[in-house]
Amino acid sequence: MDTQWPRWEVFKQDTPHKPHQAVGSVHAADPEHALLTARNVFARRPQAVSMWVARAEDIYAWTKEEIAQSQLLQAEHDRAYSPPSSPRKYLVFRKTSHKRSMTFVDHVGEVEARTPEEALAQAQTTFTDAEALAWWVVPADKVYQTDPSPDTIESWFAPAKDKTYKQQQFYATVGSHISKHKLGRGVEDDECC
Amino acid sequence: MLAKYGVPSDPDFNQRLAEFEARIERGEKIEPGDWMPEEYRRQLIRMISQHAHSEVVGMLPEGAWITRAPTLKRKMILVAKVQDEAGHGQYLYHAAETLGISRETMLEALLSGKAKYSSIFNYPTLTWADIGTIGWLVDGAAIKNQTMLAQCSYGPYSRAMVRICAEETFHHKQGKEMVLLYAKGTPKQRQMAQDAINRWWWPALMMMGPHDKDSPNTEVLVRWGIKTKTNDQVRQEFINEHAPEILEAGLTLPDPDLRYDEATGNWLHGPINWDEFWQVVKGNGPMNKERLEARRRAHAEGAWVREALEAYATRQTAVAV
Repeated sequence: MDTQWPRWEVFKQDTPHKPHQAVGSVHAADPEHALLTARNVFARRPQAVSMWVARAEDIYAWTKEEIAQSQLLQAEHDRAYSPPSSPRKYLVFRKTSHKRSMTFVDHVGEVEARTPEEALAQAQTTFTDAEALAWWVVPADKVYQTDPSPDTIESWFAPAKDKTYKQQQFYATVGSHISKHKLGRGVEDDECC
Repeated sequence: MLAKYGVPSDPDFNQRLAEFEARIERGEKIEPGDWMPEEYRRQLIRMISQHAHSEVVGMLPEGAWITRAPTLKRKMILVAKVQDEAGHGQYLYHAAETLGISRETMLEALLSGKAKYSSIFNYPTLTWADIGTIGWLVDGAAIKNQTMLAQCSYGPYSRAMVRICAEETFHHKQGKEMVLLYAKGTPKQRQMAQDAINRWWWPALMMMGPHDKDSPNTEVLVRWGIKTKTNDQVRQEFINEHAPEILEAGLTLPDPDLRYDEATGNWLHGPINWDEFWQVVKGNGPMNKERLEARRRAHAEGAWVREALEAYATRQTAVAV
């Protein structure tokens, strides 16, 4: 029995000048619910200034291997004979490195296209500064974002900054003074750090 | 070699497998949509879903102590830690979903008792000192494993692990700090810390799983870069780090055979009671029944929240139309 809520991919922006990056997914009943859950799951710690969510079924994804298999070009060819729909805006995301990372594709820009396949083809000729290992394109009107007003950003993302006890640096000196520990002395639990 | 994993009907299987293994050899990540042997997919679903269940069930032993934390600071730390475990479960369910299994299927497997999770969470938390000891030893053992898995050849699992490791280090350090504090405290505090170490040491060593010679999955997992170290290697790393620190803190370890081996630089341990391990895995541990019941109860008692959110979403859609 399939009763689970739809899956939403989550994109997090760490600072205003960084791209939104795919961090994982959540299940939610609607966009608002998806954003709230995304905040709880992916922004328990700094940094975040904005989040986007899009339903997994609205995301078109290709890996380098899939593109190489060229089935895509055939599909694009076949589609050329069907009546064209009017162009719409797609957001384009790309992965360029196999390096250790906690994020997948980065937002690189937008293209105007009639189909997702056309959007991919345009992305490949537009964003050429690095080799793409994976592409995602998402219709722009299918992406929902957190409210960009400063008050909302503050109330959504600032609390994570104050909870310094969640950071390992808070305990940086643990273990460095074991030899100095004196036995037999009662201690208050709050004495350390 | 191939026959062992089953050669599917695909006539190009051997060539595809060779290309796949060459990619792993080059250090490339395998991503959703890329070709992979069915056995690779099956092993990953098995490992990642078990890992996700462990994070979710892992909230229970510690969550039981949130209301009894001795200070506000300790309570905030414990709340944050338990909340993290919930988040880690979410990251991992996401990674497993990219392989084609639904979250609902995984949750049903957990609630029905069909799915496995780490046997460590079927032991009870008897005193407050257990909370510090779990952070230091259980999270310490988990981090050794997860640091290794962050190198995993499957992209989504690797990324979940990198994110988890960054957060889990806080769990380890807060636990270590707490135990070290009690180790230099009153006789009663020291006794509590020692008692907790005595009870958690062996289960922590069992967390890495059976010895390599008894671990049939290890060969293929290492071959395909899912794991980059064996169970015994990870266990040795854990002991080498933790044994000297615990002893240096003036505490003892419940292993009369434990000794430092000059030749290898390793701390050698005595025999592990695998009968106990398999009993707990099979469902006969001290807390198996309670853990499962707690999960089922939480799921049932949360039903009205799910229904309310569903109703709200339906109404919003109706209004929009």
